[in-house]
Amino acid sequence: MQRLGDDRLIAYLDGELETAQRREVEAWLDADPAARQQLAALADSTHLLRLAYDEVLHEALPDRLIAAARGETIEAQAPARILPFKGRAGARTVTSNRWWIALPAAASLFGLVVGGGAVYLGIAKLLPDNVAGKRPAVEAAAANGAWLDNAAGYFKLFVNAGDNPALDVAATGDPREALQKISQSLPQEGRLPELNLKPWGLSFRGAKLVVAEGRPAAELVYTTDNKAIGPLTLIIGSSKLPNISPTFDRRQDVNLLYWRHEGRAYALVGQAEIGYLWGIANDVAWQLDAI
Amino acid sequence: MSFRHGLAGSPVRLVSSRDPASIRFGDQLIAVLPRLRRFARGLAGSASDADDLVQAACERALARQHQFQEGTRFDSWMFRIVQTIWIDLVRSRDVRKEEGDMPEERLGSDEPVRRVEARLALAEVRRAVDLLPPDQRTALLLVTVEGLSYKEAAEVVQVPVGTIMSRLARARMALQAQLEAGRGVGRSRTDAEAR
Repeated sequence: MQRLGDDRLIAYLDGELETAQRREVEAWLDADPAARQQLAALADSTHLLRLAYDEVLHEALPDRLIAAARGETIEAQAPARILPFKGRAGARTVTSNRWWIALPAAASLFGLVVGGGAVYLGIAKLLPDNVAGKRPAVEAAAANGAWLDNAAGYFKLFVNAGDNPALDVAATGDPREALQKISQSLPQEGRLPELNLKPWGLSFRGAKLVVAEGRPAAELVYTTDNKAIGPLTLIIGSSKLPNISPTFDRRQDVNLLYWRHEGRAYALVGQAEIGYLWGIANDVAWQLDAI
Repeated sequence: MSFRHGLAGSPVRLVSSRDPASIRFGDQLIAVLPRLRRFARGLAGSASDADDLVQAACERALARQHQFQEGTRFDSWMFRIVQTIWIDLVRSRDVRKEEGDMPEERLGSDEPVRRVEARLALAEVRRAVDLLPPDQRTALLLVTVEGLSYKEAAEVVQVPVGTIMSRLARARMALQAQLEAGRGVGRSRTDAEAR
């Protein structure tokens, strides 16, 4: 095969050809089995190459890089800076802005709707999402902001509940059981990422029904002895909005990474550094095929 | 090869006093760190050298944040900084990969055999990449791993698109030849997907 042919095949594989060039390559592929074989081999090595480096994305970010990105100075041999876990019993923090305090009312309302056995329809009436496609961009952005407010609020509720968080389903010996139970109230099946292994060491505590983008969603609750990570919640709901890449946002002292993929909305919420959240979100996306 | 020495693994204390714009810039930087680390790992070969490279790039980016043009791709700007620092090092030193620099995680003895084989297959791919000339390696990582278009990769490296195309083609063919000469692409892929 001519060198020019390899160039052209590679550009074809990379989606870099103009329409006329692409047709030319496709005609060549139709006529030449060797070219097809070469294309398959190139696609194979491309796939392997991506796999070979993907594991880096699932590693926790080193403290020194997070510090370097923030322009912070590092003093060696001192205790690590830990984002405060403010919600333990007896150690509650009073904040000046109790924006999250309205969430219990919302949660109670949701509970009533669930109790009435009209989960999906009830919520859909309260917060219609079926017009999202027609919704002006500003309104959609406002709705996006509202659900992130809620996600942060739900997290604060969990943290401030201390050792007795109000969970709809507590984790038992088999963590999947809780998710199965809560999935019965969701319009779609839920899956549980395993985050108990290194480097995260997160224990699944249970799940709670919440609202995300106007639809019922599962809030999965995790705790860990690793104070640099602290408690975390992962909200998984359904969405009719377009896919978006993981995006960082913040509400007061709560960090959020949220994204949408193939009809599902995800939000990872906690007080850990964004670097940790990013690493965990990558792991979640990897396990749930959600990116 | 080492870019910096020292603080990895040590307990650290972070001290900062920054304005909101710097905080936003820092958050943006942190969000791309995983991809910068992946790109740097491909360039530098070892994890510690790659992190040293990323750290140096972060420091340079912060010093030159006023040069970043809003509305352009932040990740491409950072890739360019990483690549520039690395090329400077390559040109100033005879960069040699140290033998036995395989991360410990790939040598774990308690993993199932197939998983170990898969990791070895992927390590074989990384070794094949390490054998490529720096220019080809950069083009390959930017386009194939990081998903940049030819035009974007050309802007990062500051060469014409045609140069990226030819470097990429040579890199791809060399990589394929290496893998076929080793264990065979088919087997490697099967093993890798068993992860």
